[in-house]
Amino acid sequence: MVDRSTESGGISRRDVLRGGAGVLVSMTAFGLLSGKAAAQETTFKIIHPSFDMNWSPMRGGGAALRWHSLWWASPMYFDEWGEVQPYVFTSWTPSDDWTVWIFKIDPNAVFSDGSPITPADVKGSWEVGAMPLTASQRVPLVLAGVVGYDEIAAGTATELPGVVIVDGQTIEVTLKEPDPIFHMRIANHLVPIVKISQARAEDGNQAPDWYTPEMGVVSSGPFKLVEMNLDDGFVAWEPNENFFGSKPKLTRIELRVIEDSVTATALLKEGEYHAHTALVTPTIVEDLGPEFSMGTEIPNGQHFYFNAKTPPFDDINVRKALVLAVDRAEMMRASFPNGPHKQAEQILVGVDGVDPDWEPYPYDPEEARRLLAESTYGSPDRLPRIIFAGVIAPAEQAAAQFVVEQWRQNLGITAVELKPTLDNFAPADVHVIRDDAGSRVPDATEFLRTIIHSTSRVAREKMNGYSNPEVDRLLDEAAPLPIDDPRRNELAQQAQRVFREDYQLIPWYIEAMSRWALPNIMGMEKNLDWQVVAPWNIEIT
Amino acid sequence: MLTYALKRLLLWIPSVVLVLLAVYALAFYGAGDPIKLIFLREPGGVAFDPVRIEAIREAAGLNRPFIVQFGNYIWNVLHGDFGNSLTSGRSVGRTIAAAAPVSIQLGLLAIVLTAIVAIPLGVIAALRQNTALDYAILGSALFLWAIPAYVAGPILMVLLIIILPGGSVPYGWGGLFDIRVILPLLVLSFHPIALIVRQTRSAVIEVLSEDFVRTAKAKGLPARKIVTRHILRPILTPVLTQLGLIMITLVNGAVFVELVFGLPGLGRLAIQALLNSDYPIILAVTLIASVLVMISNLLIDLAYPLLDPRAAERR
Amino acid sequence: MATAIEPTGASRPAEQAGLWSDAWARLRANRIAMVGLAFIALLILIAIFGPWLTPYDFLTQNLDARNLPPSMSHWLGTDELGRDVASRVIYGTRTAFLVAIVVTAISVVIGSTLGAIAGYFGGRADAVIMWFTDVFMSVPNLLLVIVINTSLKPPLGRWMDAMYLWSGNTLFRNTVLVDFIMVFGTISLVMWPPYARTVRAQILSVRSQPYVLAARSLGLPSRQIILRYLIPNSIGPLVVAVSAGLGGAMVLESAFSFLGVGVQPPTPSWGLMISDGLRTWQQYPHLLAAPAIALAIASVAFSFIGDGLNDALNPKGAK
Repeated sequence: MVDRSTESGGISRRDVLRGGAGVLVSMTAFGLLSGKAAAQETTFKIIHPSFDMNWSPMRGGGAALRWHSLWWASPMYFDEWGEVQPYVFTSWTPSDDWTVWIFKIDPNAVFSDGSPITPADVKGSWEVGAMPLTASQRVPLVLAGVVGYDEIAAGTATELPGVVIVDGQTIEVTLKEPDPIFHMRIANHLVPIVKISQARAEDGNQAPDWYTPEMGVVSSGPFKLVEMNLDDGFVAWEPNENFFGSKPKLTRIELRVIEDSVTATALLKEGEYHAHTALVTPTIVEDLGPEFSMGTEIPNGQHFYFNAKTPPFDDINVRKALVLAVDRAEMMRASFPNGPHKQAEQILVGVDGVDPDWEPYPYDPEEARRLLAESTYGSPDRLPRIIFAGVIAPAEQAAAQFVVEQWRQNLGITAVELKPTLDNFAPADVHVIRDDAGSRVPDATEFLRTIIHSTSRVAREKMNGYSNPEVDRLLDEAAPLPIDDPRRNELAQQAQRVFREDYQLIPWYIEAMSRWALPNIMGMEKNLDWQVVAPWNIEIT
Repeated sequence: MLTYALKRLLLWIPSVVLVLLAVYALAFYGAGDPIKLIFLREPGGVAFDPVRIEAIREAAGLNRPFIVQFGNYIWNVLHGDFGNSLTSGRSVGRTIAAAAPVSIQLGLLAIVLTAIVAIPLGVIAALRQNTALDYAILGSALFLWAIPAYVAGPILMVLLIIILPGGSVPYGWGGLFDIRVILPLLVLSFHPIALIVRQTRSAVIEVLSEDFVRTAKAKGLPARKIVTRHILRPILTPVLTQLGLIMITLVNGAVFVELVFGLPGLGRLAIQALLNSDYPIILAVTLIASVLVMISNLLIDLAYPLLDPRAAERR
Repeated sequence: MATAIEPTGASRPAEQAGLWSDAWARLRANRIAMVGLAFIALLILIAIFGPWLTPYDFLTQNLDARNLPPSMSHWLGTDELGRDVASRVIYGTRTAFLVAIVVTAISVVIGSTLGAIAGYFGGRADAVIMWFTDVFMSVPNLLLVIVINTSLKPPLGRWMDAMYLWSGNTLFRNTVLVDFIMVFGTISLVMWPPYARTVRAQILSVRSQPYVLAARSLGLPSRQIILRYLIPNSIGPLVVAVSAGLGGAMVLESAFSFLGVGVQPPTPSWGLMISDGLRTWQQYPHLLAAPAIALAIASVAFSFIGDGLNDALNPKGAK
């Protein structure tokens, strides 16, 4: 209407008046109807699958971590294409030998109470993060190379001498060894920058419950925490009016815990809620459409790891037989018949160094039977009981039951026990465990160092101390090389090929970093840090 | 009566200690290493560092003999200290204090609802024995009896989500007078209602065939008067004895109902703790649940003589 | 005196037999109870002859035939891994009855022994046993079973592994066996107290009967008195309790399997199938309906029989 009246010059004054009145009336009516709805609709409602009791940003793990970008600003961040973007830090400059890094803090960067983010906050946050009582599983991925980290982690120091405050906006980090990718290590929410006067207690450890609204938590992201009732499973955020970046579009975010995936699916389907923290069901595409779980490929996969040292898995022929006896294409059909994930062949994914000439593990029941007969056990009847753990979500159960059935049909193995968790949390008691293999840094060498290097958590805890000196040597040789040196990726690929011959895992799927949000939610793109890249852009349309 | 109640309470103390001892022993000998459990979740690496684990065990007094540790635990419980959760590190006392009211309020409300709905229905069914009404009531009771709470709950929840207009789906906990309490309350009451309807019905039929009722009928007393004067009192006794069973049904039902409807109560807490081998919480929940059942048993015993004077004489 | 007692004692079994045939006649007249009995008989037949009723194996997956609706080739359709639902329900019936029967047998033996001892000897033995029974009844059974299961199953598994390595007997490697041992043990543990109470109450009332007092004064050993007079006389109420207990054990088994602490997949159990079916019941209702209806039929049928037996054995409803 407005368009027409402005375009056609020859209309009478009366027409303009009438038109204007029409516009006015319709706008008021529409406004009355939709205005209220629009106001409601800017409350973004999230379903969270578990009653997490620890929402500390220092935790570096758990489902709660996946919403940290809502209320915390990280040093830098990866966009959905894997490029590092400035955030609290505006620039990062390594020395020629990659042992000293200079970071500049954005002069406008402030906490939600308006106070500036200082180098002291950065240094203090990293120190708190490294303290043995607060350290998360993933802190070493970020800080292990910094001078003085080992002393803090061992509990003999409370300060990081490797982190030096140069001036009001500059911080200098000294590393023990050259690390060409240190800037990528800090571009995530694993050790966020917090207001240190609030978060750190006298003894250097994290102050108890400092991150709760009751304690007046001060955060740094586009939203601030306004309500948190963890017993009831409810958390709410509202825009941080002092946020130093773009103004957030939402007026409120509410998160409610709903453990049951069927109820959660029904609520999402009806539009009662807009997003889910992580919904893993085999029917997700039929239930909620392909848009719901769409996402970019990230350096993360899900696999079934073998215990390297406990009988019968200490016998390579048994491991080979168990890998070759599984038709992995069919396993994908059993677990994610309609996507959104893709079948995995190698560990490397979502990074530059993915091996183009990788030879996938074949499906060969004949060969599997032969190998089992050749093993020290000779026949399936003489294998001890196999314990298969980490099977919780419906899709995981489907995949695990499929694997067990394949072993039964192709090899005649019947004594397999499925378990949700590790008993005793001793990897020695479990033979097969489902877990992810991921990297917060888009680099092949770093990715493999966190999975198959003998010092990595996955090798130690999921594969019960897997160690291959050749793999370690290749990866150690690659680590100090610059990212643009082609040998870096070549060595990583070589290490992965050596690892392949150890038959240590059944590859399952490549993770798409699903949005887990309804199609009418915009700005839900996520990155390899499992975070919404630009939470200020989230919008309900 | 007061001495009787006191005597019962005294007998009850060793029972509780026995229950705690059993669960503690199961935790001590059967479950995973609590230190590993704690450290697996928080700081990196410690759970796989035997030397440090051993030092922490020693410092926490976990290398002392079983009986010393158990005694220590009981001592702490007597002082109101239930220890800290292994998974969240929060005080168990505070966690329980937050969860218990939800379950207890819901359970009490379910008992009230059961009494209001089931006893009249049972009486009506008995008075109209072998009529269509009787069959309808009995049939519905059987239907409720046959559906497990874990099937009824999710189905009703999803149906409600589909039927109700957006923004009005009840989920979570808002206290007893919140609309969200209705669905869990109904599902929780299904089994007790089915039980009490059938119990009341057969009790009334039995009383109706007794001589004094027949005499009253012969004298021409109207049915309503017979019911209130002669029947209600004798039938309340067997119904009351079922309350203990109902308490157990309620505790079991609460586990499923709280899981399905997302209520922050004891049942959900217990299941979570069990899945995580979080024994301080399991011990405390077992304690609370046993105490609740025992208190209800005690109340039943105390209420008996009020309903049936003969029982009081026998004591 | 001795001759005067003997005939009375000898006539007891005959009276018992008369009582039983009367009860059976009354039960037969009870249409509802007979319906219940018919359903249970049918389920038992299915459990026994199930493997010959269906052409499919309950484990075999067929990913080309997932989530099919009921049809001529698959009477109850197929599940999300393409397994035949009818076969799984049939094998689930086996699981349910196996658990119900074994658990009831164990708990009747434990319960009636303890109840008989308590009732016959009275005094301190009675006080201790009944206190113990009360303690067991005051712990919510679901919690108790889960606590025992989570804390004892791993050590049991480790012990079985050690036994297997030592003996090489594949029995010790059988994971299904471990599951069933745990299920039998834990459910029996929570099911015995009602039997103990029933038997004790019955024995208390029989104990003061003249013929028992007389036998006692004649110096008959306790064991004989218990076996000859007390147990036969307690059987009536015990039978009622057993028919309720069978249904109860079945429902408990499915509840535990539903929560993941009972029988483990891929062994078919109604509770497990219900828990799987609930995930997709909006798209594939048959996956939930089949096991849920089977469970409902069994549980209602057992309560029909229990009510019928109660009426048949206690004609006046003696309480």
